Amino acid sequence: MEEGEGSNGGVFEGGLEVRVLVVDDSPVERRMVEGLLKKSGAMFQVIAVDSGKRAMEVLGLTDDKAEHPTVDHQKVDIILTDYSMPEMTGYDLLKTVKEQSCRKPIPVIIMSSENEPQRISRCRAIGAEDFILKPLQTNDVLRLRSYARPTELSPRTGTKRKMALELMAENSGSDRRPRLAGLAVS
Amino acid sequence: MFIYTRPAYQFCQVVLQGYLDEQFYQLEELQDESSPNFVEEVVTLFFRDSSRLVANIDQALQKYPQDFRRLDNFMHQLKGSASSIGAAKMKNECTSFREFCNKENREGCLRSFQKVKKEHAVLKQKLENYFQ
Repeated sequence: MEEGEGSNGGVFEGGLEVRVLVVDDSPVERRMVEGLLKKSGAMFQVIAVDSGKRAMEVLGLTDDKAEHPTVDHQKVDIILTDYSMPEMTGYDLLKTVKEQSCRKPIPVIIMSSENEPQRISRCRAIGAEDFILKPLQTNDVLRLRSYARPTELSPRTGTKRKMALELMAENSGSDRRPRLAGLAVS
Repeated sequence: MFIYTRPAYQFCQVVLQGYLDEQFYQLEELQDESSPNFVEEVVTLFFRDSSRLVANIDQALQKYPQDFRRLDNFMHQLKGSASSIGAAKMKNECTSFREFCNKENREGCLRSFQKVKKEHAVLKQKLENYFQ
């Protein structure tokens, strides 16, 4: 598991950090997403894991909690998971997270390289907040913040940093990026 | 290991030849003072991961030649990595391979895989030339 350093511990002007759990079995894609999240400003703290199973450990959803000390799942604001992973898919992870009985389940955004309507519908049907086509772009990352649970964002103290929003990669086509009619979690 | 010191425009040749697409510029844009070796890091990760996947596919073609689902899964991973760094030609060959898997065409898979390996090797050489 790779734990991000919280964008150098900064607090962006006017706000709080969003703690993102990135789940992807590809080390290249994991690193790219992490880079995108950190570049978009001091708003994201990243935890990157390579499997659904590891994600469950971070979220405290494994059976054997004693053997695997975990981060309190309330400290993860958003889950950004690949759809296609071995053993436990992103869909399986999404289903498990949404089945939790807690009052405010964590928002889950699915990433996939395949633009399949059936896949998107399937994820939407069980509560995915959004579905993003890979490879991710800066615009995709910036809208993640809207899915964070505003009452439970992790406050950080430290040196203020100006939020770097200048970086805008050219979006190669909005029609490539299906969006669910998701709701910002209340 | 790749040591990246050249500015973006010098990659134009590689882009124009079709080996890399605009996605590669995103890597460069993500490199800054806080991540000064980002391009090198990701490219190194890519070649390490892709070499592993190519070896897996090679082995699978020998040991499980009719297991098209297994072959497709490996190639899906390889294609994903290639897409992330903008390896356009390699990505296209990965797509062809998957199409042959879909049709359960072993001969097609074998021919296509040779092209995947060739594009992988050529890209590695071109990036080595630019980085060092």
